[in-house]
Amino acid sequence: MKEFKKNRQLYLMCIPALLFLIAFAYIPMAGIWMAFTDYKLLDGVFGSKFVGLHWFKAFFGVTTNSGAKFNGMGLRSVYNTLYINFFGLIFGTIIPITIAICFNELKHKGFKKVTQSAMFFPYFLSWVVVGAIIFAFFSNSSGIVNRVLESVGHDRIRWYAEPKYWKAIIITADVWKWCGYNSIIYMAAMSNFDPSLYEAATVDGANRFQRIWYITVPLLKPTVIVLVLMSIGRIFFGDFGMIYGIVGNNSLLYDEVAVIDTYVYSAMKSLGYSYTTAIGLMQSTLGLILVTLSNYFAKKVNEGEGLF
Amino acid sequence: MDLNENKKRNRIHSSFEDKIVKGFAIVFISVIAIACFYPLLMVLSVSLSDNAVVTKKGFSAIPQAFTLDTYRYLFSRSGDRIARSYIVTIAITVIGTLGAMLVTSMISFALSIKDLKYRNAISFICNFTIIFSAGLIPWFIVCNNYYHLRDTYAALILPSMFSVWSMFLLRTYFSSVPISLYESAKLDGASWYQIWWKISLPLNKTAMLTVGMIYALGYWNEWWNSLMFIDDHRKYPLQYILYNVMSNVKAISSGKVPPGAAANIKLPSETMKMAVTIITIGPIIFLYPFIQKYFVDGIMTGAVKE
Repeated sequence: MKEFKKNRQLYLMCIPALLFLIAFAYIPMAGIWMAFTDYKLLDGVFGSKFVGLHWFKAFFGVTTNSGAKFNGMGLRSVYNTLYINFFGLIFGTIIPITIAICFNELKHKGFKKVTQSAMFFPYFLSWVVVGAIIFAFFSNSSGIVNRVLESVGHDRIRWYAEPKYWKAIIITADVWKWCGYNSIIYMAAMSNFDPSLYEAATVDGANRFQRIWYITVPLLKPTVIVLVLMSIGRIFFGDFGMIYGIVGNNSLLYDEVAVIDTYVYSAMKSLGYSYTTAIGLMQSTLGLILVTLSNYFAKKVNEGEGLF
Repeated sequence: MDLNENKKRNRIHSSFEDKIVKGFAIVFISVIAIACFYPLLMVLSVSLSDNAVVTKKGFSAIPQAFTLDTYRYLFSRSGDRIARSYIVTIAITVIGTLGAMLVTSMISFALSIKDLKYRNAISFICNFTIIFSAGLIPWFIVCNNYYHLRDTYAALILPSMFSVWSMFLLRTYFSSVPISLYESAKLDGASWYQIWWKISLPLNKTAMLTVGMIYALGYWNEWWNSLMFIDDHRKYPLQYILYNVMSNVKAISSGKVPPGAAANIKLPSETMKMAVTIITIGPIIFLYPFIQKYFVDGIMTGAVKE
């Protein structure tokens, strides 16, 4: 109590932010209860009938006696989420690292400034804008891709009716949007490397490639591991904005690109709030476990420094 | 060490492999840079092209039959709507950013004071929201049924007003201010409020600009909350207008809508879609050269933890 008196002003300064967290993060947690009830609007969150693990079983197809339609789309959305995140993680790590290493080898200030500005720009665009840009590439009649296909004698492809291409398109868009941003993180790490290591290697006659392979890459390892662990911690979370911004609610492509987050949103009305809350709860719980584990391993590689 | 001497030595060691590495670096960086910038150039040039030519020849990165007609037509036909959503977007960006900076800087400042006994507990309250969340549905129900955010401007502002990531970033900056500065102000009888407002904030102007711009970009690009809560057309921010235009277009493009019905929906022309996109990106294009360094700075500080 003495502490609160002494630092009263400082604690008061924390209150507005904490109120936002309580309102938009902690109070909704009470709503998790819906996952264990058959939520009806009129009965309210805590007045609805308790149904135990019914919705969780329904998700895995154990019971379908509620009359609602469970067509395995839930599990499919989990698969899509993991697929998109896995390849996004692989390419989204390799390409930014290559950018950062290449950048480090170049000296010309003007060239670096111009190219970095260009690479960083996609980060500033919303997914809706990225969706419009992708449309410019893949639209039926005027899209660049179809024009190119035609010019080499291939038939046009009706891209927005062909689900099979869209995972690849989405992964590419994801890597495209973040490559500049992520490469800056690696460059930040590189700027802390001890220059005398490189000088010593040069004196010993190491060429550029050897300096990259034997100095830069090993030194980058901890940063890479930490960032990869962070992504693994969130591997069950799809990017709602990305999927909705690029594909929208196009029902032809839906099955192929629905991630857990978009599935929950679109199933909210048809399959009910309780069922979708249960899916969200499983997702959050898996996330909590994975993030905690990642943090534990990150601390190990990073000399006691965790992710948070 | 003498720079020239260094260069000379490098040159002596420069071998065939070195040239390959350098050549690869130049080519790789150029390809990625073009891949990142070309699409934007294309959107811009199509919006400045003549629609008939675009329909015939397809999209291109150089304006074809340069004209401002698309923009003129757009503003004369739906100028009111665009102006209105511009005002909505600017208003939520300004109000949201100022509010967020106030809220975030206060807690970041307080948590940067090592004297504060329960700072770790408060940090944990913040942290926990990053690693665990209730999920979309409970959040939506609470906002919709209990806070009554449906169709309010508050729905576009409040949910994004405090970001824990930005708090951590700002706290890193604040922590680098030597505590002795605060202590001497304390001795002179200053309150913590005064220290925050008169010493800490002015000392961390760049940090505040960085965090402010991260928030501002978030608000400018906001459309998710609109998708969740806004039905009233007059409250649409720019991004959400573009979202609606494009989702109609994509639906038709998929061929899912029967051709008879498709004929009834009047689609914007190709140049018009791209013009709406450019209008939506709006000031980011002009401000980009000036603001990007703050973001780079922010990423660097966030990445390099002490």
